[in-house]
Amino acid sequence: MRSILDRYAPAPAFDEFAAADGQPRDHYAPLAATLAGISSADFRHRVTTVNSVLLQRGVTFTVYADARGTERILPFDLIPRIISGAEWDVISRGVAQRVRALNAFLVDVYGDQRALREGIIPRELVFSSQHFEREAVGVRPPHDTYVHVSGIDLVRDADGTYLVLEDNCRTPSGISYVLENRDVLKRAFPRLFAGYDPLPVDDYPRRLRSALLASAPRNALEPTIAILTPGIYNSAYFEHTLLARRMGVELVEGSDLFVRDNVVYMKTTRGPARVDVIYRRVDDDYLDPLYFRGDSALGVAGIFDAYRAGNVTLANAVGTGVADDKAIYPYVPTFIRYYLGEEPILQNVPTFDCSDAAQRQHVLGRLDQLVVKRTAASGGYGMLMGPMSTATERADFADAIRANPRDFIAQPVVTLSAHPTVVDEGLAPRHIDLRPFALLHGDTVDVPPAALTRVALTAGSLVVNSSQGGGSKDTWVLAD
Amino acid sequence: MLSRVAESLYWMARNVERAEDLARLLDVTATRSFDRLEDALPRWQAIYTVAGITPPENAADRLQTVDDVVFDTTSRFSIAASVRIARQNAVGVRAELTTEVWECINGLYLFVEAQSARAVGPDGTSTFLRSVRDTAQAFGGICDATLAHDDAWEFLRIGRFLERARMTSRILRAVEDDDVAPHVWQLTLEACCASSPFARARRQSADPVEALAFLALSPVFPRSLRFCVREIDAALHMLSGAPAGTFADNAERHSGRIAASLDFAGPFDLVREGARPFAVRLAAQLDELGSAIVSTYFPAVPVG
Repeated sequence: MRSILDRYAPAPAFDEFAAADGQPRDHYAPLAATLAGISSADFRHRVTTVNSVLLQRGVTFTVYADARGTERILPFDLIPRIISGAEWDVISRGVAQRVRALNAFLVDVYGDQRALREGIIPRELVFSSQHFEREAVGVRPPHDTYVHVSGIDLVRDADGTYLVLEDNCRTPSGISYVLENRDVLKRAFPRLFAGYDPLPVDDYPRRLRSALLASAPRNALEPTIAILTPGIYNSAYFEHTLLARRMGVELVEGSDLFVRDNVVYMKTTRGPARVDVIYRRVDDDYLDPLYFRGDSALGVAGIFDAYRAGNVTLANAVGTGVADDKAIYPYVPTFIRYYLGEEPILQNVPTFDCSDAAQRQHVLGRLDQLVVKRTAASGGYGMLMGPMSTATERADFADAIRANPRDFIAQPVVTLSAHPTVVDEGLAPRHIDLRPFALLHGDTVDVPPAALTRVALTAGSLVVNSSQGGGSKDTWVLAD
Repeated sequence: MLSRVAESLYWMARNVERAEDLARLLDVTATRSFDRLEDALPRWQAIYTVAGITPPENAADRLQTVDDVVFDTTSRFSIAASVRIARQNAVGVRAELTTEVWECINGLYLFVEAQSARAVGPDGTSTFLRSVRDTAQAFGGICDATLAHDDAWEFLRIGRFLERARMTSRILRAVEDDDVAPHVWQLTLEACCASSPFARARRQSADPVEALAFLALSPVFPRSLRFCVREIDAALHMLSGAPAGTFADNAERHSGRIAASLDFAGPFDLVREGARPFAVRLAAQLDELGSAIVSTYFPAVPVG
C-alpha cells in the first residue's frame, strides 16, 4: 500500500512536521505513525465526506467579489497542525501581554494621551489613522476595556521563531472554523487522534460569554448580552449564528434594536427588552448613522449616545481600529515597554513606515523584495507581494505610496513555516499562520487554546486569507 | 423573543408545511391520474388553483404541472420557492435553531436546488415528491423533539397549522359542488392524508358529506380545519397568557371565533351552506386570522 505520507518532501522553510533530518518532530511522531497506515485513496474519500458534511451544516462564507453572493465552504485541510505545550506557553503569554499593551494604548489615546505628549508615538500618526474616532475621545468604556476580543496573527520565520504579523482589534473572525474543524475532524477521522489528547476548544463560547458579562456596565444587575450582526449577507454570518447559539444570547440586526433615553432595547414579541452588552460584529463606521456613516442601514441610531452615557458595553469599544492600524503596529513593542514595563515576549516582523522619508526611499528601491500593505486594510486585500509582482503592479504601488505615504507600510517577505497539507498528489508542504484569540476584561486576558491555523493552498503562496484562496486546519494545542 | 425572529420562524414553518402539502397533493393526483384518465385534466387545473399559481392557457398535463408547481422559481408559490423561502428564513434565525433543525431544512434546500424537471425525469416524480414530503414531515418532528416548547416553538406551531388549515380549505374549495363522484372525494381525502384515518373513524368508503365533515370538523384528525384552528388558538393563548375562551388581542378574537364556529357545527350545517361556499368562507376567515397574527406580533413599527 502506498501511504499518504510516502512522498512528503519537507519545504525549504521551517517545516512544522519534519525536523532538518527529515524525521518527524517529537510532537508529530504519533501522527506520522498513523498517517503511514492510511492510503491516499482512503484519504481522498474522507476529504469528500468532510466537504459534504460542511456544506450540509452550512459552514460557509460569502465571497464579496462574487456578485451572486455564492456561499462557499472554507477549504478544510484534514492534517491537523500541532502545537506543543511549551510553544503554546510562549504564545499565550506573548499574546496576553500584547493585548494588555494594546488596550493600555487605547485607554491612553482616548484619555490622557500621555504617550503622545511624551513623544512615544508621533501624534500625527495616531490622528491620521482612518480608524481613529475623534468622537470617542474622552469617553471611558466600562472597566476601561476596549479590546474585548482580538485575534493576533502569528507566523514562524525560518528558525521557527514566532513573530507577530498583525494585530486584529476590530472584529476578528475565524473562531467558528476552529470550533467546526475540531468537531468535524473528530467525527470524520477519529483515527488521527490516536496518541494525542489535544486541549478542547469547545468552551470558547462560554469563556467569551464570561468575558462579556464581566465587561457589563457597573449598574447592570443581570446583564443581557446580544450579538449584533450586519446580517445574513455578511461573510462571517455563520460565525455570528454559531456564537449566539452556543452562548445562548440573542443574535440581533440593527433593525432589531432601538435607543430611547440613551438606553438600548431589543424589539421583542413582549415589548422592548433592555440590552447591556453588545458584542458587535459591525464596524465603527456602520454602528450609528447619527455619528458615523449616515447611509448605514446596519447600525442603530443613538447607540453611540447610549455608549457615551455608560449604559451599554460595546465589544469591542468604539475606536479600537487605531490599535491595529498597520502604521501603529511597529510601535507595539514600544507600548509593551512603556505601558507595562515589560520586555516583549513575541517580536514584530521588521517594518518600514512609508510616512518616514528615509524609510520610504528604502522601500521604493526594493519593491520587488518587500511585501507592501495598506495600513487601513485587512483580509489580505490591497497587498503587493514584491517577489511575485509584475512591473506594472510595482509601478502602481510606487505611485500610490508617493501620493499617500501614510497609507502604506512594507515588510521583508517572511517565509512562513510550512505544514503537510493534502494536495492531489498526496501530502505537500504549504505555508501556514496562526491566529490565537484573546479575551480581555479588566486586567485579565484569557487566551483559550482555540487558535485558527490558516493555510495557503497554492504551492509557494504566502497569502493565507480565506478571501484569497486560503484554507484552514484543525489546530491541536497539547497540554505538556 | 425578537419580533423579527418570531416572524421568520412563522414563515419558515408555513413554507415547509406548504411544500409538504403541495408535494402530497401532486403525488396523489399524479398517482391516481394513470388509471382515471377521463377526469385527470380538471384535477391538474385544480392543483394550480390550490397552489395559487396561474395555470397555462393550454390545458396542463402531468409533466407541465410538475414543472410549474414544483420548479417554477419565478413564482413564489412553487415547492422550490417555498423551500427556498423557508430556508432563507431559517438562515435569518439560525442562532435560534438546533443543529438538527438547521441541517434538516438546509438539506431539503440543497436537495431541491440540485433538482430540475429534467433531472427528475418522467418516472422520477413520485420518488422526488415523496422525498420532499418526508423531509418536510421530518422537519416538523425534529422541531417538536429538539426545540424547547417556548414562545419560539409556539410561532412555529402557529405557522405550521395556519398553512395546513389554508391548504385543507383550498383543497376543499377545489371540489365543485356537483363534483361528488366517490373517487373524487377519495382523492381529496388522500390529498389531505386522511384516507386511512377517515376509513378507521367512519368505517365506510368516501361518502361526500361524511368526508367533508371529517376534513372540516374532526376534533382528532390533525389536518382537519377544526383541529388546526384549535392548535393555533391554543398557541396564541400560550403566548398571551389569556385564559382559554377569552381573548387578549385581535389574533385571539379571530382564532376563537373560527374555532367556536367549527366546534358547534355538524355535518348538516355544512350541507346546508354547501361544501364550496363553506370552504370559500373558511379560506377567507383564515386569511383574516393570518393578517391579525401579523399585525399583533410582527408590527413594522415596534409597540412600546
